[in-house]
Amino acid sequence: MSHSHTFAVTVTAITQVTPLIKHFVLKAADGAQMPSFSGGSHVVVVMKGATRVYRNPYSLLSSPNDLSAYEIAVRRADQSRGGSVFMHDHVTVGMTLQIAHPVNLFQLDKLALKHVLFAGGVGITAIAAQLEDLKMGAVPYELHYSVRAPDHAAFADRLLARHGDRVRIYHDSAEHRIDIEGLVAAQPLGTHVYVCGPTPMIGRVLASARAAGWAESHIHWEQFSAPPVGDPFDVFLKKSNVKVSVLPDQSLLEAIEDAGVDAPYLCRGGVCGECKCRVLEVDGVLVHNDHYLSPEEKASGTLIMPCVSRAHGKNLVLDL
Amino acid sequence: MLIRGIKSKPVYTPLAPDLGGRTHLLVGFGVGAEPLTRLMADCTLAGVTKASRRLLYVTDKSASMAMHEMMRHADAGEVQLFKDSASLLSEFETILKASIMGTRLYVAGPEAFMGLVMRIAARFNLNRDEIRAEECGSPARRVHCIHCRAATEDVTTNIVQCVDCQRWLVVRDHYSRRLAAYMGVMIDAEVPGELPPIEEVFV
Repeated sequence: MSHSHTFAVTVTAITQVTPLIKHFVLKAADGAQMPSFSGGSHVVVVMKGATRVYRNPYSLLSSPNDLSAYEIAVRRADQSRGGSVFMHDHVTVGMTLQIAHPVNLFQLDKLALKHVLFAGGVGITAIAAQLEDLKMGAVPYELHYSVRAPDHAAFADRLLARHGDRVRIYHDSAEHRIDIEGLVAAQPLGTHVYVCGPTPMIGRVLASARAAGWAESHIHWEQFSAPPVGDPFDVFLKKSNVKVSVLPDQSLLEAIEDAGVDAPYLCRGGVCGECKCRVLEVDGVLVHNDHYLSPEEKASGTLIMPCVSRAHGKNLVLDL
Repeated sequence: MLIRGIKSKPVYTPLAPDLGGRTHLLVGFGVGAEPLTRLMADCTLAGVTKASRRLLYVTDKSASMAMHEMMRHADAGEVQLFKDSASLLSEFETILKASIMGTRLYVAGPEAFMGLVMRIAARFNLNRDEIRAEECGSPARRVHCIHCRAATEDVTTNIVQCVDCQRWLVVRDHYSRRLAAYMGVMIDAEVPGELPPIEEVFV
């Protein structure tokens, strides 16, 4: 199923662009053109570590108009399961990786009359490719990009060179903050807002837009959650008749895959809904970490997103 | 004969305040005065301020003098009355050009009128979650001739002669939001002049 959609790419360049972010250029191992994509897409990168396989989603930041290579940027997260650390410490130029075909869960609205984009930190990646799509069109757009300090402004020069005064950079270190409330308060009809960045920034943009009366169809955001580390637990997959133990630094989906059961997935970040699974029995509590299920669905205890969510308790039975 | 059961036929629901909005634009025609009056009362109950409401209304013979007076003194921050649809639509477009995000549109009246209002709203990218519409008044249709592209107004029959190319058209339930009209397709192409019975159906 999902796994067979991967293809081999060669890492052709690696650059440390900020103290925490590395930039990777990937080309098709067979020399062919990369599959086409639209701004806002991500790919899942499969990393074969010494003891386990990591599959992490990364937004494509290169131009959708240049299919000679894909570019991704990876922020090092030391306190996580290890995918980003693997990308930083073990991936070298010339190495071959498997990646899945691009999927876009953060699309530009094609009928918008104006686009206002907010990015924070490594969240710039998905937005950078969207800007390339917008540059080809005639619809006005503006980016407000917030970073910790000048040396953390990944791709700032490149963005300024490509988009000029449509891009504004803000430095937290200089107490230079984006006036999000002011910016969303007086936009013309037909404006769409997009945000990708740290959780508080997404929260502020959503809250400000809603407070200004924006309808949901004009508000777009993306945040991949890394599956949080948690307590180990066991799960029984009823259809497959397999019992699986989930380790503390392993996601439920990864444990299911390690057991040889082919479960559906797309984003691996709790966003898309593809891995949604029915919970047949649970003795304990489900720990929902996704952005997909509604509060009612989460409370019902009958559905779980194995890519980011876990369970606490003695018994969990899934319809897989 | 009539071609029914096409999904593009719009579905309308009774107007209710959208508390998410900050500016509320109410647009009505004829007997649309009734749902708009009810809406304004519901807005007040729900805490939507009078100042945030703006009303555009055009009367016609379907509305009584009493309704017209009711609209003149409507409970809105600004009230504008028009003698015909064209001048209302022109003012409506001017207002949208100057409007900002946070605006909600409420439309009440016959479908043919509401379609023209919503066609303008669509040009400003007002989406379905920003527009509410309640149908009342004449069910007469605006029919788009798919052959010459002219619009025939106030169609009440299942079959109608195109105002421009004179072809006989059967009125389908296939509705276009972009054109604000139902599709009319030539009915006697095989045997010119051979028409099924013409019946009053949209009355």
